[in-house]
Parts: sequence; structure tokens; C-alpha cells
Amino acid sequence: MRPYFAKMADFGTPLKKGQIKRGEENQAPLRQVEDQIARAGAAIQQLGLAAEKVNARGEMTVWQRIAHLVDPGSFHPLHTLFNPADNAEGATNVVDGIGRIAGRWAVIIGFDNKVMAGAWLAGQAENILRVTDLAKRLNVPLVWLVNCSGAKLSEQHKFYANRRGAGAPFYRHAQLNQLGVPVLAAIFGTNPAGGGYQAISPTVLFAHKDANMAVGGAGIVSGMAPKGGFDVESAQELIENTRHFKSHPPGSAGIHHAQTGFFRYLYEDDQQVLDGLKQYMRTLPAYDPEFFRVAPAAAPKFDPRELYALLPFDQKMVYAFDEILARLVDNSEHLEFRPDYGPEVYTGLCKVDGYLVACIGNRQGYLGKNYPEYADYPGMGGKLYRQGMIKMNEFVILCARDRIPIIWFQDTSGIDVGDAAEKAELLAIGQSLIYSIQSSDVPQMLVLLRKGSAAAHYLLGGPQGNDTNAFSIGTAATEVYVMHGETAAVAMYSRRLVKEHDGGKPLAPVIDQMNQIVADYKAFSRPQYCAQVGYVDEIVDLPAIRRYMAAFCGCAYQNPRSICPQHQMVLPRVIKG
Amino acid sequence: MQAKMTAPMAGKVIQIHFNAGQTVEEDDEGIVIEAMKMETMIYVPHTGLVEEIKVKVGDRVEEDDELAVIQTA
Repeated sequence: MRPYFAKMADFGTPLKKGQIKRGEENQAPLRQVEDQIARAGAAIQQLGLAAEKVNARGEMTVWQRIAHLVDPGSFHPLHTLFNPADNAEGATNVVDGIGRIAGRWAVIIGFDNKVMAGAWLAGQAENILRVTDLAKRLNVPLVWLVNCSGAKLSEQHKFYANRRGAGAPFYRHAQLNQLGVPVLAAIFGTNPAGGGYQAISPTVLFAHKDANMAVGGAGIVSGMAPKGGFDVESAQELIENTRHFKSHPPGSAGIHHAQTGFFRYLYEDDQQVLDGLKQYMRTLPAYDPEFFRVAPAAAPKFDPRELYALLPFDQKMVYAFDEILARLVDNSEHLEFRPDYGPEVYTGLCKVDGYLVACIGNRQGYLGKNYPEYADYPGMGGKLYRQGMIKMNEFVILCARDRIPIIWFQDTSGIDVGDAAEKAELLAIGQSLIYSIQSSDVPQMLVLLRKGSAAAHYLLGGPQGNDTNAFSIGTAATEVYVMHGETAAVAMYSRRLVKEHDGGKPLAPVIDQMNQIVADYKAFSRPQYCAQVGYVDEIVDLPAIRRYMAAFCGCAYQNPRSICPQHQMVLPRVIKG
Repeated sequence: MQAKMTAPMAGKVIQIHFNAGQTVEEDDEGIVIEAMKMETMIYVPHTGLVEEIKVKVGDRVEEDDELAVIQTA
């Protein structure tokens, strides 16, 4: 298929003088949000004990462990600001992302051993489930850095039980094993109870010589026989038991390496544990990248930093999506699918790091005369109409057939509304797209460039497609809401305004409530909020989008569960005609 | 020579970034039209002098309506 893929059609144009000038103004608010996100991320790294204090105990922090484990520059953090339960600690207490270990991509997650010795906190199970789902979707190993003191007991009611609560990840580990996805665990420190199951549930355990894992830790072993209360005698007994178990914790290496053999490998220090795991990664199945590459990897012809000039921070301003994409894909080349149909949506094949990838994105601005063809009003990009949704259905179906991973770029205000749109079957065609995505079973990634709104947020490759969407990233311009705040205020209060007006009552209190709704919608749609509650898995700087795209492709093509031989692909031929 | 700025779509003129008699450069910000809650910037098509502005802020325009005339060199 060299004639199709080695050289595709060029697209994109150099920035004009005016664009460069305007870009400088546009860059300032984008950078301001990026700085705010960076500061929040840096604060997460500073939580809990000082790194020096941890190091003085002969331990590395989770951040140092990750840095030692991965190939330099290959770690792509996810869920940095994720804290859905709004914990006082400021995090879910696990750190995760995608990275390469000894040349192989893996999903990596570790407990933050600086905060309550890596305790379970509220929202943490949800974080872990996102990570196990990620490993499942991308079919890459899950690597754990276990150092977990068990539940934060004073808040156990928030996370211990429930369908997606603290025990659910152990079932997910079993599921990954059944699917042939290895779960490797480096084990450090004290891991009692929940921490014990965090340690035992993976596939292969690499342990520090001082690590332990147990059904119950020293704390509960010494108090397992309730007597209905406490008195001086029982307190004295507790003191003695606690001293004993602190010096002889259950489940030490003496038991779980020497006797049970559950710790398959035992090492003297943190670095050796990580080096052992690294060595093991080399033995896991992974295709050589050249098996799937369709061309040598190449940078875009246009600098991704130009995105600051091209993606307007002002949500009302239109822009050229194709220019954005041209700064993210190899050589700024593509094969566009059906360019003369459904103008509000871009669909096409591109290359990222030499891998073939399908891209879908909302185009912006006026869509030209007589479009949409079923209505007497003009069409504007960002909205979805009949043709665009039919085109995306076709494209996704063909990508599924040809086993091509998909990257979605979302900036949508919704699907066209009104009786003309209903007659044009948009409700059903939208759901058809969801059906097409769900049945595609190819890995997908979402870049939420600006707006994710209305049902269109779901059907444009949104994270709601849990079986297909591997992860989603947002930008400094990301906003997510069911509808614009002003639209919501009108929907909620317009009848009330009529009633108050007809009753001769003052309108000011209603107007105040409407303005409050607008303010709330703004606050609850900002990038940092989106990251905290998990609407996106990470907010990234604009030039970093390409790095995440390359990481996604590297993972998706490392060990795919199904393959379409390149010369048997249909989509490139449909495009060529 | 004259270059005409025309409306690419129907909508409302909400901003005009130049005055008559002013020198402008190609790709400078020109006129903003709002339609369907989105703002579309019409950029100056050629370097030259703004000879005439045919609309004012608040005007409704139709597709292909003339917005301004630029006198080029």
C-alpha cells in the first residue's frame, strides 16, 4: 500500500502575518490557563511528606519510581488533577499515565507513598477502574507500584463498598488476566488488608526485601477480638501486641518469598525492584513498530506551537480545523474521506509516528449555501447535520473493518434541532453513530479541543463510550456542559419571567437567578474542573497533544487483538475511488 | 484597483475594525459578523486604503452583500 500511504496529500498553510499578530493576543489567555493547570499539577506532587524525608528512609517517592521505571521522556500523565470526591488531601492518592518501559508501552499506576503511606481514599477506585479499562482497551500491560497502607479508616464509608468501590479493581485485575493482559506489580512498604489485595491480585510480583502484604496488618491483627469496649487491661494488651506486630508485621518477605513464593522476585532496594520489573517487560509480547508502520515517522511540516495562533480562546470565534490537524500529523499529510459531503465534519486518514490513524473533527464556521439541504436556515460548523453524521457512520464502520484506531477532535455545540432536523432523522442517525462506534471495537482517543456540549459530546467519540474510548484529553480552551449557561438560564426561567411580569412583580430577583446559573455553568465547565471530576483524563498544553496522539498510536499498535493486512484495507480505496 | 469585502453569510455586523480613509494590510482584522451565536471574522482581502464602509454595527447583512471597498495600489 506504499502508493497510498508513503506520500499522502499535503494540507495546511503557513500562518499569515495577521494570524501571527492575532496569535500573540490569543496565546496569552491560553497560556494563563495552562500555567494554572501546571501549578495545580505541581501542587499534587508536593502533597504529604517531603521527598527528602521519604528518601532519608531509604525509599523513593512514587514520582521517583515512575521516573526511574520509564524510558526518558515517554511518560504521559493522566488523571493528575482527578479528585471526584473532592478529598481534603487534594487527590485520589494514585498517580498514573502511559509510558514506555524498556521500549514497551504500558499503563502505569502507583500509590502516592508520601500521603498517608498510600492509603485508599474516596474516588481512588474510580481512578483505578479508568486505568484498568485503559489497559484493557489498549491491550497493553498494567504496571503497578504498590505501596498501600489500606483504607483511610475514618472515611471508609465513602469508598469501601459499592459496585465501583475499593474492591472492584481486584475483579478488574482478574478480568485483565483472563484477557491475556499481564498485570505486573512492584511492591514496596507495608500493604495490609486492601493493600494486601492490591499486592496479590496482579500477575507477577516483584518485591522489596522489606515489603509485606497481608490479609490484615498489624493494626487489626492486634485488635481482632472485640470485647464490647476498652479498659486499661485491654489497652495494655494492645500496646504489647502493637509493639510486637510493628517489629514483626504479618506477610513479610520471610513468609511470602521464602515460604509461599508469592513474591516471585525479591530485591534489596527500590531501584533494583524497578530494574527487575524493567527487565521482565522485555520478555512480554509486543510487535516491532515496523510491523504496522505505513511510513517512516515524521514531524508535522508546521510547528505544533502554532496551535496557539489557530485555536481561538474566545469560544464564539470560528477557525479552520484542518489547519489545526495539519500541525498534529506526520508531514502534514492526509487522505480525506468524502470531502464533498457533510462539510461540518472532517474525516480522513493521517499518520502519527508512522502509524495509520483515522481522524474525525468538527469543522467551524459557515458551511455554504443550501446546507443543510433539508432546512431553510444556514448551517454553522460545530453543529452536526444529517450528512455529517451519515459520513461519520460510514467512516467509523470502514475504520472498524480495516482495524484503524480513531482519534476524535471535538468542538461541538450540538446536533441541529427543530422539526426539520427531526424529519431529517438526526435523532436516530446520532444514535446510529453510537451503535457504529460501540460495534467498531477499535481503540479510540478524544481530544476535546474546545466545546463538548449536548448529545453531540457523547456521539463524537466521547468518554461515555467506555469500551472504545481509551482516554480523553482537554486543552486550555475546553468547556463541557449540557448546553450554554445562557441557554440553560432561558430554559429554566423564561416562563417565570412571563409570570412575574404579568403579575406586576419585579424581575430583578429572577434575573439574578438567571445570572447565577450562567456563572455556575462557567465555573463548572472550566478545564481544571473538567479534570477534577473526570470529564477528561488530562488537560494538556496545546503542543503536547501530538505527544499524546503518538503515545495512543504506540499503545494501540503494540499488541492489537485483531489485524487487517494493509493490502486488504478497503477505506483507502474508497477514498481514492 | 478596487477590492470588495463581501459577507460570506447572512448575519449581524457586530464589529468593524477600521475606518474609512485608513490604510490596512492584507489579513488584518476587518469586520465581524455574528450568526447562529458564532462570530466570523472577515479579514482584509488586500493591502490598501479603506475607500468606503457600506455597513455599520448592528446592520443585518445577507450573503454576498458588499461590506467595504478597499482601494489597492
